[in-house]
Amino acid sequence: MHTRVLFFGKLKEITGAAEQSVELRSGATIADLFERFAHNTPALAPYRSSVVASRNQEFAPWSTVLEHGDEIAFLPPVSGG
Amino acid sequence: MGANTLAFSAHDDLILLVRDRIEVDALIKHVRQPGDGAVVTFDGCVRNQSHGRATLYLEYEAYESMAFEKMREIAASLHTLFAIDSLAIAHRLGRLEIGETSVFIAVSAPHRKAAFEACRHAIDTLKKTVPIWKKEFFEDGAVWADGELPPVPAATPAAKPAS
Repeated sequence: MHTRVLFFGKLKEITGAAEQSVELRSGATIADLFERFAHNTPALAPYRSSVVASRNQEFAPWSTVLEHGDEIAFLPPVSGG
Repeated sequence: MGANTLAFSAHDDLILLVRDRIEVDALIKHVRQPGDGAVVTFDGCVRNQSHGRATLYLEYEAYESMAFEKMREIAASLHTLFAIDSLAIAHRLGRLEIGETSVFIAVSAPHRKAAFEACRHAIDTLKKTVPIWKKEFFEDGAVWADGELPPVPAATPAAKPAS
């Protein structure tokens, strides 16, 4: 199952990439997806509690089950304005 | 995305994400119609210091497609909450110098109370829900500004398998 993953702000600097593509097992959640990135980039792990996720441009809870072709983004606290 | 994003939505509202200077006069002119008795504006500008440290400049980045949708949602909700005529919301991205406008909101209404309240609601909601990030540059480094974590809808209970 193919998923496009976007990182912004501080998270983009930590992962070193604004956008990545990953293959996931069927039934994987947004939490699983973050866990995989945190495993590969341990510096990301502490941000789990201060990040929200979106699925296809809508804020989404961590338990959201991913579907093929989803666009998932990990978003630090927003500071526009 | 190199080009500016612009859309006219319902009620002739104007929503923009721009990389060039925000044309505030054009936004005011856009919302100001003969049936209006008030136009209230909010001009968010780049301050020269942050927590006592002198700011050199700012950089804004956005999850542009989602930011745009969230700004449209704000516009739509204002029409359901307040007796307003129309509004314009513009947010600038990229590098901004001290004193420049980073966000501008103009709301028109037949009467001033609705225009004041809607404008306040618009900027407060934007700062909480629109995926835009500000990086502050100082003499001795740069930091991502403290922000607000947007509210996320509660998880829907997983469907139970049929017994």
